[in-house]
Amino acid sequence: MTPELDRRRFLKLAGATAFVAACGGSTATASPSATASVAPKATGRISVYSALNESTNNQLFAAFTKATGVEVSALPLAAAGDLQTKITAEKNNPQADIFVGGSSEFHDPLGKQGLLEAYQSPNAKDVAAQFKEASGLWTGWYTGIFGFISNTSRLNAEIGGKKPTTWDDLLDPIWKQKLILPDPIKTGGGYIFIATQIFRFGRDETKAMDYMKKLHPNILSYGPTSPGVITSISNGEAAGAPNWSHDILTEKAKDPTRIDLTVPKDTGFEVGAVSIVKGTKNLLGAQAFVDWVLTKEAGDLNTKLSNRGSVRTDVAPAPGAPTLTSVTLVNYDRQWATDNKTRIQKLWQATVGIQ
Amino acid sequence: MRSLQREPALLLALLAVMALVLTFVVYPQLQVVLTPGPGGYVQYLQEGTWVRPLRNSIQLTLLSTTTAVLLGFVYAYAMVYSNMRWKPFFRLVGILPLLSPPFVVAAAYTLLFGARGVITYGIFGQSPNIYGLNGVWGVQTIAFFPFAYQLIADALSRSDPRMEQAARNLGAGSWRVFRTVTLPLSRPGLGAAILTTAIYILEDFGNPQLIGGSFYVLPTEAYSLISSFGEYTSASAVSTILLLLALGLYLAKVRLDGGRSFVTISGRASSMPRPPVSAAVSRACFVACLALAGIILLVYGSLLVSALTLRFPNNLQFTTEHFQYVLSGTNGDALRNTLVFSGVAAALSAPLALFGGWLVQRGKWPGRGALDLLLILPAAIPGIFFGLGYLLAFNQRWLDFVDRGLLIIIAFIFWNIPVGYQAAVAGLRQIDRSIDEAATSLGASSLRGFRDVVVPMLGGSLRVGFVTTFVRSVTTLSLVIFLFTAPTTTATIRIYQLVGDLNWGAATAYTVADIGMAIVALLIFAALARGRIALGAARA
Repeated sequence: MTPELDRRRFLKLAGATAFVAACGGSTATASPSATASVAPKATGRISVYSALNESTNNQLFAAFTKATGVEVSALPLAAAGDLQTKITAEKNNPQADIFVGGSSEFHDPLGKQGLLEAYQSPNAKDVAAQFKEASGLWTGWYTGIFGFISNTSRLNAEIGGKKPTTWDDLLDPIWKQKLILPDPIKTGGGYIFIATQIFRFGRDETKAMDYMKKLHPNILSYGPTSPGVITSISNGEAAGAPNWSHDILTEKAKDPTRIDLTVPKDTGFEVGAVSIVKGTKNLLGAQAFVDWVLTKEAGDLNTKLSNRGSVRTDVAPAPGAPTLTSVTLVNYDRQWATDNKTRIQKLWQATVGIQ
Repeated sequence: MRSLQREPALLLALLAVMALVLTFVVYPQLQVVLTPGPGGYVQYLQEGTWVRPLRNSIQLTLLSTTTAVLLGFVYAYAMVYSNMRWKPFFRLVGILPLLSPPFVVAAAYTLLFGARGVITYGIFGQSPNIYGLNGVWGVQTIAFFPFAYQLIADALSRSDPRMEQAARNLGAGSWRVFRTVTLPLSRPGLGAAILTTAIYILEDFGNPQLIGGSFYVLPTEAYSLISSFGEYTSASAVSTILLLLALGLYLAKVRLDGGRSFVTISGRASSMPRPPVSAAVSRACFVACLALAGIILLVYGSLLVSALTLRFPNNLQFTTEHFQYVLSGTNGDALRNTLVFSGVAAALSAPLALFGGWLVQRGKWPGRGALDLLLILPAAIPGIFFGLGYLLAFNQRWLDFVDRGLLIIIAFIFWNIPVGYQAAVAGLRQIDRSIDEAATSLGASSLRGFRDVVVPMLGGSLRVGFVTTFVRSVTTLSLVIFLFTAPTTTATIRIYQLVGDLNWGAATAYTVADIGMAIVALLIFAALARGRIALGAARA
């Protein structure tokens, strides 16, 4: 490691200590005297549970190792709920140091159960409050925006080439049996879609359910996984589907004329989080990871690899990718959406009469 | 079997098997069952979200089991009784549906038979909506008939040709012989087939998840709760409901069986050929098997095409890039892990299942019923909960020295024991006790009687156990999802990742490599057994 990097680490840690001291927090791990004399350096290896895309993991972790010297032993699983469950089940003998990726909904319950280690990264100070947990149990570092994928040839042939600009546009009978919605019972994306409608109507559940009921005849099928729905639209099984913008762009890159992305007004979004698992055997290494994913370098790389947005304002979005400022968002209340999930799902099932 | 007091070795072996089952089936599963706590159960039951999936699960299990067992019986009958051609081919094709890694094969059905399917839309211009009850029913029938086929073929081939020959000599036609001799004598195999198939269908997740659409069943409910919403306490409650249903199926089977005897192998081995079936029946068998094999080959063929083309089904330009990806870097490590874990597990699970079957079927000790149930029950535990139980039970600091790969192997052994065990019990019920008693009355110990007399006669059951454990281990995703670590990643985990990454080409290439590796391994296994152990079950 170069002396310059050493200095950078030192400054970061000094900053962290100062920050924590300023907040009067009790999460400081290095005693002030130790920080003042010799900066403890993150070394060794960390175990990372990652819900990021397969294609993102390898390059992102390699860049982290290059920047900090800390090795990564990655356990990738593209289902954040599985990782959340795994961390919960491992609480007697934690195997992970870091849980990265997946919407904050998957990190937050772990924090509430006392399974996460609070850490206020100095690099998180510019991150807007809505993207991070106040005490530092988890920190948001990327964003995902809910959009709409259309199959270009079917859109042109059957819908007159008109992409939806609002979610209400999908109620047009021209879409009859031509939409696929990620299943609201089986997928996070499908549930976020319903919650988005509820917030769009100012939490008027009756109006939102009325919307879902009118939408139902236009839905060919409710898809089992969000990425699976993208494949279906790409294959022309249906003309369009609500889905994650970044995944739509990834698919579009393979064959730009086949499908397209559009983001209807008043849409929902997710905040991708990173957190440190309590009981980590390499706290410094884990903190270095959180610091690093919040850098511009990591933001740029993740944006390039996954088409997701960054919580940092100095990170440019991927080409063609929507940003939180370029689209109109609903006032999405994550806590409310989590707390009311089972009730809303049942309400929806009863409304559309699904067996 | 002599009394246990007089044979300490036997007592010891019995206690060892009990201890193993308690440690690796009961204890981990108890962790899952206890997870929700009384309050959790009350809350989940009150929410009522389980009522519809429960009803759907029961309906689907009844439908799919009926058709899968019927198909399995036809296939087994054709393999054992008819003189049709191409039997080795049909035997191999009959294994393929067992090699269905979740997500990929079910997805292949939609690509072929879905609204824009290559067959349905491409050839016939139809856009059927296959999502829903009918779609899952069809796919499950194909996916699960091989379990029924293996167990039934094993039982049929053990029936004594002399009985059928005798019936024929007394003037019965071939249909009458089948109805009044063959069918009744193969009842143990049939009962085992129905029970196992039903339980596996009940806990099937992959097919209802991908083809079921809004037809929710209990396993999809449980998986969604975990994967999409991280609610594993409610999911554990679903797992318990599934266990209770399987218990119900088990009790129903015990009642149906009664205490009948199905002995067809008496003291003397028979070398008499089976009475010939008519040429017309053979032809009908051939046509039926050919139709079934056609559907199966279409599905697996499409995987191969997809693995070798740029973007199936939209761009069919030939490429080897997907296979290059599979073999590049450390991607191949997962294939090696899968091969090692599955091979070791199968080699240990099959004899253990046979021994367990012998202890239960021949023993006269108290508590046999409990062991019987415990050796069948793992079939009813969805893989994700079997793995979760292992994580809860064995992820302890004092066990950190245990290699995680070993943990996966142990999980494979016990999760897959039911089919081999059922085959062993069904086989033993057709073999006269007097045969092994002859050995013990000549002074051999019970254990020696088992080794030298019973095992050689139950090669078919051993084979069923080996093949099933191997292919189910090669293809399971759910079981390993909570148990794998970075160095012990398996092929199915890699496939799952690639599907999630929309990399369908690489996912199918990985699947083809996984299935191909399994087939090669099974062929080597067959060759090593010097032809005595044929693929599949039937000794035609």
